[in-house]
Amino acid sequence: MTVAVSDDGLLVPPGESPLVVEIDGHYVWSLTPVRDGAPAAGGVLVPWPGVLRPYLSGRGRVRVTDPTGSAVLYDDEVGLGAGSGELAVVDRAGHRLSVDKVGHLARSFADTDEQVREEILAGTRRAIDDLREHAGVAAYLNYGALLGAVREGRMLAHDSDTDLCYLSEHTSPADIVAESYRITRAMRAQGWRLLRMSGGDVKLLLPLSDGRVCHIDVFAAFHVNGTFFQLGNRSGDLPRSAIEPFSTIELHGHEFPVPRDPEAMLAFLYGPQWRTPDPSFRYADPPAGVRRLDGWLRGFRTEMGRWTELYNGPRRSAVPAGPSSFAEWVAPQLGDGRAVLDVGTGTGRDALWFARQGRRTGAVDFSRGSLGVVRRRAKRRGLEVEVDQLILGELRSTLAHGTRLARDPHDLYARHLVGCLDTAALDQLWLLSRMALRPSGGRLFLELAAGEPGPSDGLVRRVPVDVVRAGIEASGGVVEHLTVGPGDDMFDLPDPAVCRIRAAWPAPDSQEKR
Amino acid sequence: MTTTELAHRVRAKIRERGTLRERVRVLEAEVQENRQLNRRIAELTDVVTELLIPLEARDQERVDEVLGRFRTGL
Repeated sequence: MTVAVSDDGLLVPPGESPLVVEIDGHYVWSLTPVRDGAPAAGGVLVPWPGVLRPYLSGRGRVRVTDPTGSAVLYDDEVGLGAGSGELAVVDRAGHRLSVDKVGHLARSFADTDEQVREEILAGTRRAIDDLREHAGVAAYLNYGALLGAVREGRMLAHDSDTDLCYLSEHTSPADIVAESYRITRAMRAQGWRLLRMSGGDVKLLLPLSDGRVCHIDVFAAFHVNGTFFQLGNRSGDLPRSAIEPFSTIELHGHEFPVPRDPEAMLAFLYGPQWRTPDPSFRYADPPAGVRRLDGWLRGFRTEMGRWTELYNGPRRSAVPAGPSSFAEWVAPQLGDGRAVLDVGTGTGRDALWFARQGRRTGAVDFSRGSLGVVRRRAKRRGLEVEVDQLILGELRSTLAHGTRLARDPHDLYARHLVGCLDTAALDQLWLLSRMALRPSGGRLFLELAAGEPGPSDGLVRRVPVDVVRAGIEASGGVVEHLTVGPGDDMFDLPDPAVCRIRAAWPAPDSQEKR
Repeated sequence: MTTTELAHRVRAKIRERGTLRERVRVLEAEVQENRQLNRRIAELTDVVTELLIPLEARDQERVDEVLGRFRTGL
């Protein structure tokens, strides 16, 4: 039986063994037919992963083999999509990319030269030292880097980052999150750039000499009620004694701490078959453990990826650049000499316009993609806009901004933000408004798509006007103006039910006087 | 038992199961809500220990410094 390659995917023989796909002589993806595909005439059709599709246009050589490369199932020149160029999965700088085990497109160590690999390993070592000396936690090498070191004595060919874990002494999720905040603070103080991925997972960003940024994940591991949890999403049985005291392992000349019983850890992570290479491996995490980790540690960045995709992708140009009609309606109502803060600024179209009118302007958003766009545009246009991250799903972030704004009078402006927030984040928008507007008498200007939530593009949802009014009033605010009528959505396309609100948060004594 | 009685009992059982399924769904949502308090507690703890204790000193220069550091360290 043969393999067929088409725009739809790969038609392969049904089987439970992984297959490896190369394009233009480079590894791009691995798959397991019966798991990833659907029965079709002539075998199993495994669709191309979505992340690869933008690259699949042109002519080039596609090769499908077993993981060792000894059994070749397909090796031929094919034409895919409408393109006539060369078929290759490369980034803008020409670096080869492949699909990693969580489905993202990344550079793998197979395409990383020795000097860069050395930088990654030295950076990982420095991260372990900083975590121990400055953040007070002992980290061990784990996941792909541990598997490579134990099984093959080198980095795995298809891996693209390094992962560290630390075994927390705490057994209450709240303490584990608080510890992760302390780690974040300590590592930032050591000069690390990082992203907080959840209440127990920090991503250190290690810049490499080839222009790429390597991610070093620092995951919490802990026991709660006898169950072992380790981020990403692992849970099950693994005693403390399998991890501590650490042993050490050498990887390309660097010595790393690893769990006391590395083989027990690898069996916990990858199952009893961990010694057999399987580049298409996927975790089978117990759903009860995932639910717990989601509830304890996650929730503040669930939709961040979707927005980053918008700001870094072609759809961004669908958002008009000039001011929205709402901004033009708000401008004459802004306080004399008072600054304005565009909350959920997006592409910054309105913030940049306010700044151009000569008003002191701030712009905040939870998406780093958005902040990058606004900074670049402001710089290009010679405008001064104070750009900062505000995560309304995080109480700390909300309180920190609220405290600052309480002492620096602003009006708040939020266009199509309300429809992006979950209940907790919406409550924190009212908290921010109360903190910011009570002392100075500033106003909150809102525009939102009104109505019952229905199917949406996953970005902005409709919100019932009653819910918004009730939230404002419950937090001590007063709705001064409210209209619902035809207006524009985020892309300035017509929307039949757009609500405009102006609200104030009078100081308690001035409310009594009214 | 007549066929009609049996049919009644079967229908009642099915209804009961439907109600139980709904109750489990609601309970699961409520459990998840409670789990989310962990992050809230951690955030409040962080604010109290990192901010409120230094702010209590009421030294404006120190207050500005502490607020600035808190924001950049999040």
